[in-house]
Amino acid sequence: MSTKVIMPQMGESVAEGTILKWLVKEGEKVSKDQSLVEISTDKIDTEIPSPVSGILKKILHTVDETVPVGSVIAEISEEEAGEITEERAGEVKTPVTEPPLKAQVSEKTVQEEGEQRYSPLVRKLAREYGIDLKKVKGTGIGGRITKQDLSAYAVPEVKRVPEEESAREEIIPLTPVRRIIAERMVQSIRTAAHVTTTFEVDMTAIAKYREADKDAVQKGQGVHLTYLPFIIMATAKALRDNPLLNSSWSDNGIVIKKYINIGIAVSLGDALIVPVIKNADSMNLIELARESQSLAQKARDKKLRPEDVQNSTFTITNYGISGSLFGTPVIMPPHAGILGIGAINKRPVIINDAIAIRLMAYLSLSFDHRITDGAQADKFLSGIKDILEGWGTKSEKVPVTETGFGGVW
Amino acid sequence: MDIEKEDLLRLYYFLKLTRRFEDRITALYRQGRILGGVWTSNGMEAISVGYACALDKDDVIAPYFRDMGAYLARGITVKRIMAQYMGKKTGVTGGKEGNVHVGDISLGVLGYPSHLADNYPVAVGVALSFKIRGETRVAAACTGDGGTSRGDFHEAMNMASVWKVPVVFVCNNNQYAYSTPLNLQMAIENIAERALAYSIPAETVDGNDVIEVFLAVKRACERARAGNGPSFIECKTMRMHGHSEHDAAKYVPRELLEDWKKKDPVIKMENYLLSNNVASQKDLSEIDAGIMKEISEAEEFAEKSPLPEGEDALQGVYATPV
Amino acid sequence: MKETTYLDAIHDALDEEMAHNKDVFLMGEDIGYYGGAFRVTEGLYEKYGRWRVIDTPLSESGFTGAAIGAALMGMRPVIEMQFADFISCAFDQIVTVAAKNNYRWGGKTPIVVRAPFGGNIHGGSYHSQCPEGWFLNVPGLKIVAPSNPYDAKGLLKASIRDDDPVLYFEHKFLYRRIKGDVPEEDYTVPIGKSMVVREGTDITVITYSAMVHVAIEAAGILEGEGISAEIVDLRTLLPLDKEGIYSSVKKTSKVIILYETPRTGGIGGEIAALISEDIFDYLDAPVVRIGAKDTPVPYSPPMEEFYLPKAEDVVTAARRLVAY
Repeated sequence: MSTKVIMPQMGESVAEGTILKWLVKEGEKVSKDQSLVEISTDKIDTEIPSPVSGILKKILHTVDETVPVGSVIAEISEEEAGEITEERAGEVKTPVTEPPLKAQVSEKTVQEEGEQRYSPLVRKLAREYGIDLKKVKGTGIGGRITKQDLSAYAVPEVKRVPEEESAREEIIPLTPVRRIIAERMVQSIRTAAHVTTTFEVDMTAIAKYREADKDAVQKGQGVHLTYLPFIIMATAKALRDNPLLNSSWSDNGIVIKKYINIGIAVSLGDALIVPVIKNADSMNLIELARESQSLAQKARDKKLRPEDVQNSTFTITNYGISGSLFGTPVIMPPHAGILGIGAINKRPVIINDAIAIRLMAYLSLSFDHRITDGAQADKFLSGIKDILEGWGTKSEKVPVTETGFGGVW
Repeated sequence: MDIEKEDLLRLYYFLKLTRRFEDRITALYRQGRILGGVWTSNGMEAISVGYACALDKDDVIAPYFRDMGAYLARGITVKRIMAQYMGKKTGVTGGKEGNVHVGDISLGVLGYPSHLADNYPVAVGVALSFKIRGETRVAAACTGDGGTSRGDFHEAMNMASVWKVPVVFVCNNNQYAYSTPLNLQMAIENIAERALAYSIPAETVDGNDVIEVFLAVKRACERARAGNGPSFIECKTMRMHGHSEHDAAKYVPRELLEDWKKKDPVIKMENYLLSNNVASQKDLSEIDAGIMKEISEAEEFAEKSPLPEGEDALQGVYATPV
Repeated sequence: MKETTYLDAIHDALDEEMAHNKDVFLMGEDIGYYGGAFRVTEGLYEKYGRWRVIDTPLSESGFTGAAIGAALMGMRPVIEMQFADFISCAFDQIVTVAAKNNYRWGGKTPIVVRAPFGGNIHGGSYHSQCPEGWFLNVPGLKIVAPSNPYDAKGLLKASIRDDDPVLYFEHKFLYRRIKGDVPEEDYTVPIGKSMVVREGTDITVITYSAMVHVAIEAAGILEGEGISAEIVDLRTLLPLDKEGIYSSVKKTSKVIILYETPRTGGIGGEIAALISEDIFDYLDAPVVRIGAKDTPVPYSPPMEEFYLPKAEDVVTAARRLVAY
């Protein structure tokens, strides 16, 4: 094994050093810390002590040679067996700089000389709706095409319905909320590659736990302990273990969110609203129960603030309360998935080759197949299943990493 | 004031540890195994060790960059500092800071910037909190002769005196601020005179005598704990190496260095212990052997420790993430 | 709910936080016996005593450093720069020590620096500046600037309870001119969240502090011309609420960023860059910045009026944008 001797950097701005005098000859023995060579830099003349004991095998640069900092100037071979010295030549990993965001250049946006310029929004809308911009009349400054010009252009033809049929039809005007829901639903189906996977979950352990605690919790904390907080907690944990399910698709890459904000769908008459539990993974069962109930109440009282419905990373929808067993929920864009909870009913199941009655529920996960594949999604959902089925039996130890600095961090 | 045998041995241990450790760091620097710069306290160890050992366990220090003896005396290990010099994850700051820029709130050692004397007002604030909360703890701050020219030095001394807080100001007067000698920095003879302008009791002590420094700071702590406010201890010494290990310091007259070499604080203490029968030559050799072992274990630990990941750079900007 | 002035909201926040946490204390010049140059801390000295409402010597750098030291020991100091202009004396302690303590060595530094900023009070160069731009580029700091009494109280409480150094810029022109309903029970306004103070569909005005009221005035005028302006009050300048900004810009596709610091190097540049970098495809017009003139703050009234952004500046820019 041989050890390299390098030209050291004696001072931040120093870039090179000059060999003044070798104090040891090639082939001679050296001991650790014995002065090997005299060097000179802009700032200081000094001696370099030998990093190891051994024989000075090779001198690579001679007297009066100037070499850059970090260059190898000699090699020492160690004679003692058992002392394995690894090459200590400075391993400086040059950071890989990411190429800057590529500006989206589509063929349609290449401008020839003399052609009209279009704003980014106008180009995008034209792409999306398949409008030939040359056919649109612009009313902006200098004949510019504006967003409004495109809306005017794309108004669909109104078909007149024969009278008898129209007498048997009723038109319910679209509220803004309904329009937004419709737009979002269609956008979601059109963009995400929806696939739904279902697992059957035995809720008996949770039911027992809940039965034991719910009165104490209601009395002591003023909180109604339903099945939902358990499911939210299990979901938050599973999202932490499967970060791909807590992400969004973007053309620049899959954006994995390092925070877990779970939206809980609440049905309000003709509208669907999704208030968000922020940082759900940092809350305990009671806190989740309290927060989800408070948000649901605020939703019913129409007291939700903008921040209450923004910034979710995943959604849970509980259609089981209206009796549905299975569902194929629509992902709320731009999430990677949505978890649907079916009705929790007693069912006969087979355990150890015998029939038992257990409280069962079907949990359905619709996921965006662009972001994740089935195996990954199933791993996530089966993670939730494991946590729910094993409630109260396992205790988790949070690993503590040894970092070497004491106190606050 | 008397001094206990265990305090004497403790002072000696940290003097010797600081000297041996900084010598090793310097050797590694010359072999290119340490990144960045190295600033040692060679010849000035008695000041850092003296003041840090004079404080109680729950006191707090706001040191500066030439205080290796103080970091070690407060309990930051050579392992963690060696790892920090090598930029490793197991270093005192996990790679966030390098070389002497340590800080560990659990050991009462405040982190400090490179801007000298910024730590002085911070120490006053620490002492103010002790006063407001009715604690008998003391805060100590240290800076060099150079730092005493900065505005923060004066603002801190003034506030400490007006508010009468339990702070001990220590000054390492090693006669040079980089290449600037005292006579180009100030018109006064003794930096302790500055304290008088703020009505702060001050002492000038031999910075190469660890016992003198220790006792002076102990007296200052007593004053502070009794509610009598701040003190200023000027420690006169000599900077034996350059400002940093890449500074040849040719501007320092050789005779001055030769003179002060004779007053080496580590040797001085060794002689004191031997001639007062506090320790035998055998005891001292044993202590030294133990120290060398500690340092080589620290080196091995640091070499084997992993570097942090690049993305770790994003951690810790905020204590409360938004 | 109680109708409270912007100034009283700040006073009440300080009083309430000091009452329920004995580690909260104040430092600043003339804040104790005198009650503060603007009377914000009136009555607190009598209530909490000289060691919780500390009259400091004229040492901004010194007492900022002292606040940092006390905060490292777990206290929660709220210090006052008598005028935001004097924060430059404390610049070193803020950016060198406070901003970097937690990152470099895990030293949590929960200080709040209150700084009355802004012009329109015939103050001249050193009593009217808006210095927030000097600190935007310093990771580790948080910067907030409320525009109304509700946010003033809630944000100050949140800043005091936050574990990071927060620069709290209160606008001196708004002190007694703006009143609003403020809850009597405890509440906070989250740091890092903007707020839509006026909904609209044609243009977005992104702004903060006193300029919010300028934007509201402009929006009223524009309404009469059939232009619907949406106003986003940033409330927190660092870190910026990108979500809040983007969701409004995506709606209208036309943006004006309105701020009171000199135009060059102010927050407008940062927001404009973020918009064009992240949501370029939603823009139907260039992003417009309206800042104060690139000069020190002049004294004589016609000159100061020329210097500051006004409602008519916003109206003119909005008309052009809508027609673009």
